[in-house]
Amino acid sequence: MILYHFKQQPFVREVQEVKYLILRPLGYPLRASYHEYPVVDNPRVFERYAKDQWKGEFVSKGKMLFDYRMFPDFAFEVVSAEPEGIITDSTRILVENPKSVVETEIVKDVRIDDVVGQEEAKRKVKVILKYLKNPEKFGKWAPKNVLFFGPPGTGKTMTAKALANEANVPFISVKSTKLIGEHVGDGARRIHELYERARQVKPCIVFLDEFDSIALDRSYQDLRGDVSEVVNALLTELDGIERNEGICTIAATNRIELLDPSIRSRFEEEIEFKLPSLEERMKILENNFREFPLKVKANLRVVAEMTEGFSGRDLVEKVIKSALHRAIAEERDSIETEDLIKAVEKVRKPVKQPPKQMFV
Amino acid sequence: MHLPQMGYDRAITVFSPDGRLFQVEYAREAVKRGATAIGVKTKEGVLLVADRRVTSKLLEPDTIEKIFIIDDHIGAATSGLVADARILIDRARLEAQINRLTYDEPISVKDLAKRICDFKQQFTQFGGVRPFGVSLLIAGIDEKPRLYETDPSGALLEYKATAIGAGRNVVMEYFEKEYDDNMSLDDAIVKAMIAMGKAIESELTYDGIEVGVIRVEDKMFRILSVEEVKDYVDKANEVIRRELGN
Repeated sequence: MILYHFKQQPFVREVQEVKYLILRPLGYPLRASYHEYPVVDNPRVFERYAKDQWKGEFVSKGKMLFDYRMFPDFAFEVVSAEPEGIITDSTRILVENPKSVVETEIVKDVRIDDVVGQEEAKRKVKVILKYLKNPEKFGKWAPKNVLFFGPPGTGKTMTAKALANEANVPFISVKSTKLIGEHVGDGARRIHELYERARQVKPCIVFLDEFDSIALDRSYQDLRGDVSEVVNALLTELDGIERNEGICTIAATNRIELLDPSIRSRFEEEIEFKLPSLEERMKILENNFREFPLKVKANLRVVAEMTEGFSGRDLVEKVIKSALHRAIAEERDSIETEDLIKAVEKVRKPVKQPPKQMFV
Repeated sequence: MHLPQMGYDRAITVFSPDGRLFQVEYAREAVKRGATAIGVKTKEGVLLVADRRVTSKLLEPDTIEKIFIIDDHIGAATSGLVADARILIDRARLEAQINRLTYDEPISVKDLAKRICDFKQQFTQFGGVRPFGVSLLIAGIDEKPRLYETDPSGALLEYKATAIGAGRNVVMEYFEKEYDDNMSLDDAIVKAMIAMGKAIESELTYDGIEVGVIRVEDKMFRILSVEEVKDYVDKANEVIRRELGN
């Protein structure tokens, strides 16, 4: 195996085994009327089949792999290989279904330490990490369903991604809105498909963002005709009557009060994400300025003090980014307190509170 | 946050299927938006402490009224919608005078509280009106010290120590532990201020706090001046500083 690669890869010592490989069907080099467009039938069989032909192949992102046997010259593109290296017997091969709404991704760029604050969430993440590494040990006490809630931009998605990254398992991320189809019946079908896929690639994390769009309280049935059906589909999947060990569902929403009570009861823990405190805002600013295109000559404490009520995303997107863009537009090579203050003043959130003087 | 409850919150006269009156519950939310007011009853008398921090330098601090004298022997603290509070206070003063004219004696604290609550209750049962978004702490002495809390539904409860407004839970938690039947009124004032410090999570300022007291000896409700408040605030701040430091 190593010899085989010696020719292509002189730095054999550096070549690792690929743990997870995600492929996307690309198609044929030429189109002809007799070509069929093959679809993966059974993922487990395909994995075996794929390894038979591609074992030892070096893969990196963007590389094409050609089928030799059933559909010669049909190409797959490597969407991601974690880590880059050679395909071995232990590589997990996943194929994206171009029609499916489910995205499997392997996240590499976020770490749990990048999430500032949110200690409760971090504690839970640690438990989930232990579980995903050793699902058998937990038995029926396994962490299964966790709900993240809190205002937008407080790091719910980021924490889930960081979890997937540290656990080094596939991260099936779904925007819940995509699970709702055009027709009544689509929603439930897609939810079952999602978990079907999760069972194929487990251990894995299923992340349902904007969860309130599918887990709406069933009393909204008369507003949207499929609420009941979708909720029931979710309930059966979350309950995990069968074969759900190793699947950890994380749902995120910023409107927890819209959720169906029976769905909420399926979640063993509801973790609130709070807006960052002064110290946390300080830390978010520091973290983001650590690697920065311009020199930073700013008093971060002043900025942190005046951004009460800002979320992490507000700080990054609305304050730092717009201050940076202003500095770049003015062709300066450093960013100053003044830039940040101006950016803050621009975004000053519309106060949702009713006029103070009405209350005493 | 509250969501439309299937239309059961459009009118106060409509019960939800589980027997709730959502408009009245929303009125309670208005009370929670009000600044904290604390009432404590001791054997020596009753006291009211209210948070009246001023948000703008330009505002004249004494226009923020949280504690009102209803009659010689009764005072009240409010939390919630200012405008609603004024109407209720006027009503309370009127009821007190009606009682004096009719029976030639001061109204009992319980009677006054009941009158206020009867008035509030009417606004939860008839169409075309909305409930009062305000709670009152009514403190006074008739045969003995009394402290009543009213809420927007017209419910009425007598307490040893209680609070309304934003910091209610913090204060109640504090007094669950700290209340002592035999404490002196002065101690109770300091304790109420400590509780206030916990509720607003900062030290107190002399003019950011309003104190109303009635003692058994004279049965006269009066609002303390800033000079009189200073000593208590200093004592309380020592404790608050220590606790906030942790």
